[in-house]
Formats: sequence, structure tokens, C-alpha cells
Amino acid sequence: MSISSETQSRSRYGVRAREVAAPALLMFLCLAVWDVAVRLLDVPAFVLPAPTAILATMVQDRALIFSQLQITMFEIVTGYFLAIIVGFCVSVAIVYSAAFRRGVLPLIVAAQTIPVIAIAPILVIWFGYNYVPRVIITALVAFFPLAISFVTGLRALEAEWINFFRSLNATPLQIFFKLRFPAALPNIFAGLKVATTLAVVGATISEWVGASAGLGYLMAQDSAQINTTRVFASLVVLGSCGMAFFAIISMIEWLTMPWAFGRLNRSQWRRRNREQASDANLSSTATEHRLGRAAEAEPRDRVTATLTRTVSGNNGRIK
Amino acid sequence: MNVGRLEISHLRVRYSAPDGQGLIAIENVDLSLRASEFAAIIGPSGCGKSTLLNVVAGLLLPDSGAVRLDERDVVGRPGGVAYMMQRDLLLPWRSVLDNVVLGPELAGVPQLQSRRTARALLKRFGLEGFENVYPAALSGGMRQRAALLRTILCERPLILLDEPFGALDALTRAAMSEWLLGIQREFRRTMILITHDPDEAIYLSDRVYVATPRPMQIAGIVDVRLPRDRHRDVTLTPEFAAHKREVLAYLQQERDPADWSNNRRRAGRYDE
Repeated sequence: MSISSETQSRSRYGVRAREVAAPALLMFLCLAVWDVAVRLLDVPAFVLPAPTAILATMVQDRALIFSQLQITMFEIVTGYFLAIIVGFCVSVAIVYSAAFRRGVLPLIVAAQTIPVIAIAPILVIWFGYNYVPRVIITALVAFFPLAISFVTGLRALEAEWINFFRSLNATPLQIFFKLRFPAALPNIFAGLKVATTLAVVGATISEWVGASAGLGYLMAQDSAQINTTRVFASLVVLGSCGMAFFAIISMIEWLTMPWAFGRLNRSQWRRRNREQASDANLSSTATEHRLGRAAEAEPRDRVTATLTRTVSGNNGRIK
Repeated sequence: MNVGRLEISHLRVRYSAPDGQGLIAIENVDLSLRASEFAAIIGPSGCGKSTLLNVVAGLLLPDSGAVRLDERDVVGRPGGVAYMMQRDLLLPWRSVLDNVVLGPELAGVPQLQSRRTARALLKRFGLEGFENVYPAALSGGMRQRAALLRTILCERPLILLDEPFGALDALTRAAMSEWLLGIQREFRRTMILITHDPDEAIYLSDRVYVATPRPMQIAGIVDVRLPRDRHRDVTLTPEFAAHKREVLAYLQQERDPADWSNNRRRAGRYDE
């Protein structure tokens, strides 16, 4: 803690750089081996294209890929949020109603065992040849982990906490918004992160079944025409988008729950920077110092101040 | 301030069990507290002391008996008392300041006002400079002090303390009880403390209730006749030792069920 923030952040950058460099190097090495092997062994492009060829196709067909990506991204994001909204409502109902829990939870689990691809054509029959069935399929795939993690999170509270809030005469709404929901956040974000990748998978599958556009549709077309290189190019783009989606949700998690990452909130940062000069930190030394000063300022209350100092002194030792 | 008078009479609590028999947790307990009095309840683990506090807090319905706070029936009516449970129960996503103003916040009191009050008290509770820190960064003693500050800020006439220092080491504990005594004298609230420690019970309170193992009954009452402004040295006086001997004698007797009836009669007589 006594290291100044500057040194700390610089060393942290050093660590970060090393953390990133090693896997990046490994990845680059694998790609290089792949590329060289494909060229040396003369593997035909429709079996396994070289990474450089995939990159070339990505650049060459960027307009097509990007326009198809927009359609797929719309399905991913819409389906994802649809799954969140429905999942949240269903899990709240499950948490608050035992009857709903007993009746609906088994149905959700049973529905999960049905392959989505099997019901996709039915959805197309019901909703027509447009984006609606595709969004619904995406939402269906992402729904299960969301619902399970929401329910787990909202039910994770021990009875003690609820009793404590009840003893303060808290209303059910206050218990939900000030206690249950924030307590569920770690689980909720775990579900949200898992669901990002599943939404990407769901949107791709939905386009195989009933679509005339989108990256999934493009991939299906290209496979039929044995344009393996562009299938790989689409895969790389889709995979990158999935990673970015995951990263965005992780970032939101990091911003929403500063307490869970040992982060300081904004006013703490300001305070810490102010105290840096005197090598003060957030441990008890600062308080002891301050309490000591308080004792001098109020000699009348000497005994109390000494007591308080003793108390915080003990705490300092525990820490 | 003449509020915080508590009257418990003929309280009986039974937990229903699948066999239909049920388990009697509290049997015929009488207890009375004057305004700004400090009472300790001491007894073996699992004797139903926490159950008693849950009833007083309005969280648990008794089978029979009455609980009246300032002549008002509080059975099944939470919100009348401030309850500090065994665990500090500080919300990990709130800073210390946001945690301690929870009571007024839930009651709908304007934030600005309660925050000002809280800030003014932070120093007295040894939390100055920690108002914006998350509870995870605090030591055990500080967490308990934050929880107590939150309890005080609830502005209720009666405070229930369920083994507040149970999880702390002996040194911190001694300092904390000394500090708690000062807090009680300063804020003049009626307090009930549950504890396993005879020294802590006698040192802090005006009256010690000794409880029997399940079902909980009052085995005996010890009126502590020590000056109200006590220093830690009081624990070394012969008077203190006499009180402790008395408390220990009641605790000893609990092991012999034959003696219970005698003591119960004594407890009843006291209340008359």
C-alpha cells in the first residue's frame, strides 16, 4: 500500500503486457505453423484454407461480410435482450411463487432438452419468413442459463438478511431492490456472460433454418458451394464479435460491481490521491493518527478518545 | 427520555415439528426493562435467546404471552426496535456511510439529514475516514462498530444486541464492550444484550437474566449494584466477583433440572 500509485500502475502495465504477450505469441506461432503446413503439404483450399488466404478473403469480401454481419448482430442483440427480459420476469415469478416454481421450472428444464433446431421450422411456419422466428430462436438458446443464474442469484440470500430487513420494517419492494437484486448481481452477470456466446450460436443456427440473409446464411451458402475459405472468414468475424460481446458484458460487470473487484469508488480514489503525499493509506494508521489529533483537540473527552484509540489499535493488529 | 420500557409476560414459543409434538423453545418467560436500562441475557448456546429477540423484534409469533414496548403491543409488528444480529450484515455493495443510514433510508427519512447525522457520529464510532470504504476492507471490530452505528441511527427506543462481539478476539472484545458501555450511557437507549460471557454481562448491564437450556426459562435475575459510570477496573472489585459468583451459581444450577422450579418461583416473585 505504501507504493505510490504511479509505480503501482506502471508495474501493473508490465504484468498486463506479459500476460497478453505470451498467449498472443503462441497463437501467432500456431497460425504460422498452420499456414506453412498447408502450403508445404499442398492441402486444397476447400479442405483447409491457409490463414493468410482467409485474411485475404476477409479483406476482399469485407462489404458483403459486413452487410451480413449487421443482420446477424441485430438478431443476436435483440434475441439476447428478449431472453434477459423474459428470463428476469420468469425468475422473479419462480422466486416469489412456490406454485410457479413447482409448475414452471420442470417445464423449462424439459423444454431445454428439445433441440432448438427441431422447433425452428415450426417457428418459421408460425411467424413467417422474417426476423421474428430468428430472434425467438436466439432468445430460446440464451434463455436457459439466464433463467437458472437469475433464480440462483435471487434465492442465494440467507434468511438472516431478510429477517434483518424485516426488522427494519422494509417493504417487499425495498427488500427486492435494496437487498435481493444487488445480492444476485454476481450470479446474474455469470449468466449474462454465458448467454452472450449462446446468443451468437443461436442466431447462426436460426439463419441455417429459415433465412435469406445474415452471416449464418452466408456460411450455409458458402459450405454448399464448397467456398471453405469464406466460411472460415465468416467464422473468424463471428467469433470476434462473440468475444467483443463477452468483453462488453464483462466490462459492464466490472463497472457495476466495484465492490466485487476490490476496486475503490470515485470518492475513495480522490481521497487516496490526496493522501498519497503523506504516504497515508486506507489502513488503520491513518485513523489512529486522526483520532490522536482528535484527543488533543478535546482534552475533556480524553478517556473516550483513549478507548476509541485502543479499539482501533486492536483492529490495526488484526488487519 | 422515558421511552423504551419493555414488558414481556408469560411468553411461550413452540416450533412445530413434523411429528406434531413440536419443540418448546421458550417457556413462561417474564422480563421487564425500564427506560434506558441495560439488561443482559446469559445462557448456554441454543437455549432460545435468539428466538426471544426475534419475538421482541416482531419477526416471530409466540404461542402465548405478551410483549409490550411503551404500553404498545409489538407481537408480530416489526419495525419497533433496532435489532443487531450476530453477524454484522453490512451490505457488501454499499460504502460504510451508505450502510449506516439504511434504517432511515428504509423509513423514508430524507437522505441529506440522516447522512449529516451519520457523518457527525463516524468519529465517535472510530470510523472517521472510512465512510466511503466498502465493508470488505474493514476489520472485524470496525464492521461491528459500523453495524452498531447503523443500529443506533435507526432511532428506535429499544436496541437488541444478539452476541454482537461473539466473533471477535478477546482483546478487541474487551475494548469493544468498554466502548459499548460509553455508547449506551451517551445515547440513553434501552438495550438487551445476549451473551455467553458472565464478565461482559455484569460489566455492561444493570440487570442480568440467567437463562436455562431449552426450553428457555429465566433461572435467576441478578441486579448489578455497581455505579453506572464504570471503569474497566470495576471487574477487579469484590462486588463484581460477588455478582459473578451469583451468575455462575445460576448457570450451574441449570444443569440440575430439579432446581428449576425454585428459581422460576424466585423470578416470578421478582416481577410482582
